[in-house]
Amino acid sequence: MLENLFTNIAGLLRNLLDSAGVPPLWNDVTLLVVKLVAILVFILINALWLVLMERKVAGYMQARIGPNRVGPWGLLQTTCDIGKLISKEIPIPKSADKILFLLAPALVFVPPLMIFAAIPFGKDMVALDLNIGLFYVFALASLTTIIFWMGGWGSNNKYSLLGSMRVVAQMVSYELPMILSVLGVIMLVGSMNLTEIIAAQQNMWFIVTQPIAFLIFFIAAVAECNRTPFDLVEGESEIINGPYTEYGGMGFAMFFLAEYASIMIISAMATTIFLGGWLAPFGLTFIPSWLWFFLKMYVLIFVVMWFRWTFPRIRVDQLMGFGWKILVPLSLANVFVTGIGMYIYRAIGW
Amino acid sequence: MLRTETYTMNFGPQHPATHGVFQVVLTLDGEKIVKAEPVCGYLHRGIEKLAESRTYQQVIPYTDRMDYLASMLQNWGYVMAVEKLMGLEVPERAEYLRVISGELSRLASHVLATGVYALDVGGFTGFLLCFRERERMMDLLEELTGSRMTFSYARFGGVADDAPEGWLEKLDKLMDDMPGYIDEYDGLITGNEIFQARTKQVGGLSPETAIDYSLSGPVLRGSGINYDLRKAKPYSIYDRFDFEVPVGKNGDCFDRYFCRVREMRQSVRIIKQAIEQIKEIDGPIKGKVPKALKPPKGDAYAEIESSKGILGFYVVSDGTNKPHRVHVRRPSFINLGYLDEMSRGWLIADLVAILGSIDIVLGEVDC
Amino acid sequence: MFGNGLIKGLRITWKEFTSKKFTVQYPEEQHTKPERFHGRFVFDADKCIACNLCANACPNNVIELKSEKVEKKKFLTKYVMNIEYCLFCGMCVEACNKDAINFSLEHDMSQYNYDAIPLILVEREAPKPEPKPEEATPEASGEKAEPKVKGKGKQKEETPAASADKSASDEVAAGKAPEKEGQ
Repeated sequence: MLENLFTNIAGLLRNLLDSAGVPPLWNDVTLLVVKLVAILVFILINALWLVLMERKVAGYMQARIGPNRVGPWGLLQTTCDIGKLISKEIPIPKSADKILFLLAPALVFVPPLMIFAAIPFGKDMVALDLNIGLFYVFALASLTTIIFWMGGWGSNNKYSLLGSMRVVAQMVSYELPMILSVLGVIMLVGSMNLTEIIAAQQNMWFIVTQPIAFLIFFIAAVAECNRTPFDLVEGESEIINGPYTEYGGMGFAMFFLAEYASIMIISAMATTIFLGGWLAPFGLTFIPSWLWFFLKMYVLIFVVMWFRWTFPRIRVDQLMGFGWKILVPLSLANVFVTGIGMYIYRAIGW
Repeated sequence: MLRTETYTMNFGPQHPATHGVFQVVLTLDGEKIVKAEPVCGYLHRGIEKLAESRTYQQVIPYTDRMDYLASMLQNWGYVMAVEKLMGLEVPERAEYLRVISGELSRLASHVLATGVYALDVGGFTGFLLCFRERERMMDLLEELTGSRMTFSYARFGGVADDAPEGWLEKLDKLMDDMPGYIDEYDGLITGNEIFQARTKQVGGLSPETAIDYSLSGPVLRGSGINYDLRKAKPYSIYDRFDFEVPVGKNGDCFDRYFCRVREMRQSVRIIKQAIEQIKEIDGPIKGKVPKALKPPKGDAYAEIESSKGILGFYVVSDGTNKPHRVHVRRPSFINLGYLDEMSRGWLIADLVAILGSIDIVLGEVDC
Repeated sequence: MFGNGLIKGLRITWKEFTSKKFTVQYPEEQHTKPERFHGRFVFDADKCIACNLCANACPNNVIELKSEKVEKKKFLTKYVMNIEYCLFCGMCVEACNKDAINFSLEHDMSQYNYDAIPLILVEREAPKPEPKPEEATPEASGEKAEPKVKGKGKQKEETPAASADKSASDEVAAGKAPEKEGQ
């Protein structure tokens, strides 16, 4: 019952439209729109919750309890914060490039939304089942760079500019190890379709067969979404707030929420590629598949937050050095070893 | 041929990492610092001048406001200068109370410096965990003096109040817990590879330059020079305690930071010994001091080892009840003098690490 | 080795995550304040001999003290602390030989309006030496005193002190009392 909750809802809707005499094409389009809207709502609600969760995790790790005044257990804190931020004016610096400045926060939610359309949340629960799913995800993930750059350049502020320079440098040097680390998985599966990647993990998750790839992927992904220890982009003790320095009100809130959306993406991606996606481990199939996906994703999100509230920030040249001198060679070696392993396996097995 | 240009950037006065209202005008080449020009004075209140229109007693609360993180030591320095001027005797119990409260204040200051340094390099949790312990120290000092930060505890020829009932036991308990806390900082901050990568070999300071610029405190000792007034010229009763002076090797940010952490352990040792010894000493906490204080004409200079370095007070008396001139040798201000050359060639992120490792308090820099 | 320190850090934060929290939820729970806490001043007008020691000890001239001579004795008529300049150093408390001024544990001294900041500890008329036959004087003085008594924290001392003194001022005090309660 619970297992097929969402697929049943979708089926019901499809039948309803069918019986109303809607042509099949229009039926499909309507269904896709409904699915995308559901994903949008899902992301926004999760982003709101993640802001609170981060503050709670931070509090609990710092001998305090975090927000607890608004709503029970502080649950309405972010909602109130967003309400406050919406009601604030968005100050535009005099010398700013107005179009870029205003466009950046408006666009910042687009890539996460587009990425989530391709991620399978559970059994048969994927809005767009693309056969180049992985490629699509990485292509879109790097689009965020441009939006940060727009914000930083448009602000016409030295701190913002430094921050957005760092974004570009960081994304370029960490995109590479991230994609190279996934290459091993693609070689094993032989497909870039996310559903097929999950299906290939039926017997064994790829975190077991590709542990180094997982490590590289996770580190690069944390760097990709600008989280500590790679949060040089914000680097509040160095460059105030990086590209968001000049933003106030909802402009700031959009960047802020987008950060959590990107954490969700990297956690969802790591879950899909390495942790078996929605597959239930140890045959615990009584828990519905989408809940498994959700649980795994949240464990990874917690780890990312745990990192943030433990580690100091790395320096910009060390970041580059770590990316190019350690992660890239390591991921290349991983691809190489995977290839040899596959060759030997085939030579012995068949 | 690619031509690059330098540009200036204001680092402060409103900046999260300047530890107050402090400005560094940076000339940058990309992210690299070409020149760092410190601009201080945003918190200048003219305490030295204010002292000239106050009686000797009334200056004590003003010294609190200089290094407000270790104001016990500031009181002590000033009071020592006036005592030297008048030739006052301090009873033994008062000396012990001064040492205990002074070391506790030093401990509180170092704990904060450690935490803030963690914050400067990006680790927020270390900052708040350090505040937890500082809070316990502040509670104890509040019980002793009635205030949490501005104690005004020292008096000429003694201290304001004796330790309240059960205070020493509570302090002993905290001192038992303290090594565990310091181990926690070591695990969370000192031992962290990212932290070490950020601070080791950064902002080097050679022993010769440290002496040339008359730097003092952990900044000097981090460069490998064993000079601590408590050992070199024992004032008060410091010759009765058994403690070591931690010394760094390379004179980089990490050594300066780590000197502070190890000094905390030594402070704990001193307090433990002082608690043991004070139990056998009963007596007055204030010597015989005339109510209307009129030191003879003349001047006196006294210096103590504050948490930031050598803190000196120079008091000139013209025979009236108000000092003719008070001058303070503020360690934070003098330690800041080398900032420009220390940060040249490093990145902006390193400037934050360097500034944090000097451990300045703007109240003291601007006075 | 590489990675060890990172894992140790993670272990420490995990320990903190699960251990007891240190903070106190302020308005509901509060720390007990120590006996020596430097809070709002309390003043005992009966003990005060208007010797001016506290005002002289103050580094910032916070204390405004006025007295009148009544039968060769000094009678305190005004004791106002301009608390916005106060350093809470305790020099005045230390200077007082008669234990008239003291700290209380009250720490909440914030005011909404600027003119409500000065802490009016005593503000009263000096008692007349002997009741004169004219009846108009106590009436007039009573009216004059009224507007001065604004809703401040600590003026409870003034009414009993004034009424205890002379029979003529009794009427004044009695006339003032209901007015005060209404505020």
